[in-house]
Amino acid sequence: MKRTLPIFFIFFVFISGGYWSAQSNVEPTVDAVDAEPTFYFYNTETNINNFATLKMGFDVYLENHGGYYLQPFDLKENFEKSIQEKGNIYLLSSWHLKELQQKKVPLEIALVATAKGDTMQRKVLSANKDIANVSMLKNTVIAAAGSEEYVHSVLKQILGKGQEALLKDIKILIVPKDLDALLAVGFGMASAAISAENGLDKLAQMNPGHFRELHTLGFSEKDYILIAATLKKPNQQETQLLKVLREMSEVEAGKANLKLLGIDGWSTLK
Amino acid sequence: MKIINFYKVLILLTACLTNVGFAQSGKVLIINSDSAVYRYEKIAIEFKKIIQQNGYQWTEFSLDRYPEAEVELKKRIQQENPALIYCIGTKAYSLAHNAAPTKKLLFSAAINWQRLDIGQGTYGVANELSSAQEISLLHYFFPTLKTIGLLYNDNFSHEYVETIKKDALALGLNIINQPINDPQEIGDALNDLLPKIDMFWIISDPIVLNGKESVQKILQAAQQQKKPVYAYSDVYIDQGAVLAISADIATIGRQSANLAMAMDTNKIPSGTVQSPAGSTITLNKCALDSLQFKFNQDALDSVNTIVGCDK
Repeated sequence: MKRTLPIFFIFFVFISGGYWSAQSNVEPTVDAVDAEPTFYFYNTETNINNFATLKMGFDVYLENHGGYYLQPFDLKENFEKSIQEKGNIYLLSSWHLKELQQKKVPLEIALVATAKGDTMQRKVLSANKDIANVSMLKNTVIAAAGSEEYVHSVLKQILGKGQEALLKDIKILIVPKDLDALLAVGFGMASAAISAENGLDKLAQMNPGHFRELHTLGFSEKDYILIAATLKKPNQQETQLLKVLREMSEVEAGKANLKLLGIDGWSTLK
Repeated sequence: MKIINFYKVLILLTACLTNVGFAQSGKVLIINSDSAVYRYEKIAIEFKKIIQQNGYQWTEFSLDRYPEAEVELKKRIQQENPALIYCIGTKAYSLAHNAAPTKKLLFSAAINWQRLDIGQGTYGVANELSSAQEISLLHYFFPTLKTIGLLYNDNFSHEYVETIKKDALALGLNIINQPINDPQEIGDALNDLLPKIDMFWIISDPIVLNGKESVQKILQAAQQQKKPVYAYSDVYIDQGAVLAISADIATIGRQSANLAMAMDTNKIPSGTVQSPAGSTITLNKCALDSLQFKFNQDALDSVNTIVGCDK
């Protein structure tokens, strides 16, 4: 009995851990979309379920800078349904913006995010030393963060026309973030990973041994890190919202919120 | 002659059919230990999504829905003759292992899988991240960290602690481990350990985590001596732990699905049990600020939940 109680306690921690995770999974619905000027956010390039934290951090900041709100989305469809009226800002990936523009959604780039001085980045396909070239990826698992269709599209681009046929023989393992994907290669859960270039920099900092074990099989084209877009040209209200966004990097509270998105600031497109 | 040709075709066809995977030839039976448990259900949902996308059929059996679950399960296995059984939770695995020891078995969400009776043809995804994954992420959040301390019971956690020490050393971190034989020793052990370390690590050891009082004792002592506490579960965040890193449950479901498909085609990666590939991170910024303990701000985009003082 004496030994059963502690094991029961650890079991309780295990079960209730799941409960708390469930509670933090706040998926906004389209019905909940606010009529106030709002920043809508959805990123195809990550699966970090940090919406409650993002919303809380941004809302506290935005409330004191014009009374605005952030509405993050877990589901692409719900985010897209929110793109209806002018007066709001849409934060999304470059890949997603291009997809929407192809569907004739009149979104236009207003600001681009900056990280460590860059506005653009490439995705890198890195593999363990056993995978000497892309043809050896057949029947392997590639770990990556982001939506499935996004990862598939990036991989297709990296493989190029010559190796595109490999796609059907590769299993994609979707993980929450770039670092998980890269560590999955180091710990043998995947043979290769797709990550942003700065993901590799982070790995080098975090686990230099694993970083040295990886080698690059290919790159995607460069794309903007994150985009702030408006429906057509910005009107007066949207210009005000964009100003608030651009000035976030000038104050500590704003900087901390930008870090949650993995960026340092916003700049206008040159 | 024609008859000979007919038999040749028949033999060829049979050979082909026996080589196709269970995507074509049979179902996957998913056994869920308790469908009311959120993490089990989440794992099941992700697993089903992936195998269905890849053309596999599945059926599900939740143990909590049957008063005579063991008997019913045996019947179900006999009726369906599944090509693979995916067990979510320890209970599901134990019953499946007894009912169908020769079947291909895959498990996840089993606490302490090392204690399971694992036969040939059985694979799994562990419930906890490997210590190397935890230490890598810990090192990323706190790059200036040099010495970490932990309490453990040698009977329960000897091997795990040795692995932690080896993994930490690879990243230039020093682990000071102090064994205890009884929860009563926690107070004295902490008095001895805390002054020597930069951070205390709560590991899942049943003697150290003997109950709420033991946990409180650890967190209070650490707070008094201004030492941050890292924990393996976010349950300890509300009590003052500064960081918790655990396995992402949705990824466990997807990873299991990939393993199931690899088992089908006999293209299984090395090792029978994989560590979970995804992590979930909770940061207690309130506790860190009160301790004035610096962390890597660039790591914030990897955090799932940040706990502030206003909650």
